[in-house]
Amino acid sequence: MIFSGFLIGLIFGALLQRSRMCFNSAFRDVLLFKDNYLLKMALLAVAVQMVLVHLLAQMGLIALAPSGLNWVANIVGAYIFGLGMVLAGGCASGVTYRAGEGLTTAWFAAIFYGGTAYAMRNGGVFSGVWKWFQGFGVAPFQYFDQATGEGFSRLYLQKAGQTLPSVFGVNPWIVVVICVGLILWYVFGTQTSERESKIGLKMAAVLLGAVGAFAWYFSELVGRNYGMGITGGWSNIWSVWLSGKPFSWDGLSVFGIVVGAAISAVMAKEFKLRMPRNPITYVQVMGGGIVMGFGATIAGG
Amino acid sequence: MADYEVSRVIDVRGEVCPVPDVETKRAIKGAKEGEILKVLVDYPLSVERIPESVKKLGSEVLEVRKNGGSDWEIYVKVKKQ
Repeated sequence: MIFSGFLIGLIFGALLQRSRMCFNSAFRDVLLFKDNYLLKMALLAVAVQMVLVHLLAQMGLIALAPSGLNWVANIVGAYIFGLGMVLAGGCASGVTYRAGEGLTTAWFAAIFYGGTAYAMRNGGVFSGVWKWFQGFGVAPFQYFDQATGEGFSRLYLQKAGQTLPSVFGVNPWIVVVICVGLILWYVFGTQTSERESKIGLKMAAVLLGAVGAFAWYFSELVGRNYGMGITGGWSNIWSVWLSGKPFSWDGLSVFGIVVGAAISAVMAKEFKLRMPRNPITYVQVMGGGIVMGFGATIAGG
Repeated sequence: MADYEVSRVIDVRGEVCPVPDVETKRAIKGAKEGEILKVLVDYPLSVERIPESVKKLGSEVLEVRKNGGSDWEIYVKVKKQ
């Protein structure tokens, strides 16, 4: 069943390739080009996944397991990750699917990004920084009582990181409805930038969100209470390479993304070994990959 | 498949996102009214985005031509408002 990770990755990689989805581009398009096309796609995919994941949890098929809240590490790490992804030319999933499309700079970005994430979690030079940030973590929340089954919510693991519902003490579905409502208002109630694209914004978002949600289900079947994870996946590939550890579900899914994007790009006649004219660009993306791996690990993702 | 009197070629093949978009934007800002620019791109995301940002700058996209594999030529007629 661990190979379901590879299959989910294949589909996800092909979807990313066709939809051109990338968080880095999504935010930058808005700020630099005043173009909200990709950001709307990303947010709509988040909304779809939010509803589906909570439905799966409501049906008892998965248990939500948010990782421990750590304000300091999340904010500092995310900021550093953001700097890194600009230099690397893509976010985590962005460089992963572009590596499959034949963008050689993305290969180097992804390799250094995964290598750094692996090193930080396995006693590398910066692992002390990671450990230091762990100290700011907020204690996990008890979602229900194991003995009686009574408690705040049964959608989660018995003990897991704090969430908006647990912080504000409201039913998780209320948070879902508010978030999804805001996203729907932004996506459909404001003007959207035009763009010629292979699969439209809405279709891409629904498919991406659905695959993201079902990833939770298949991952749960192998005892992993989580959705897709790019950083963990790359880190796992490094541990397979360096210390002979077995592939994990997310390691195989990252592998699947690269292969899926490659197949999709070849089919669309968009596969090409792309090389920048200025070789300095390679140094820049490697540096970006290191900064991304550093930031992602601190942030806990 | 008309051929244009291209006054400048912007070759951004192989560049990391968003360099193709930014270079195109810069070239349009530095060009004179009526000039025709040819942008060589090999990145699908940029091919979808560049025409839209050209229009936003008020210039005209004459043609987006695909050459076989992942290679495109975008012809832009510069217009100054």
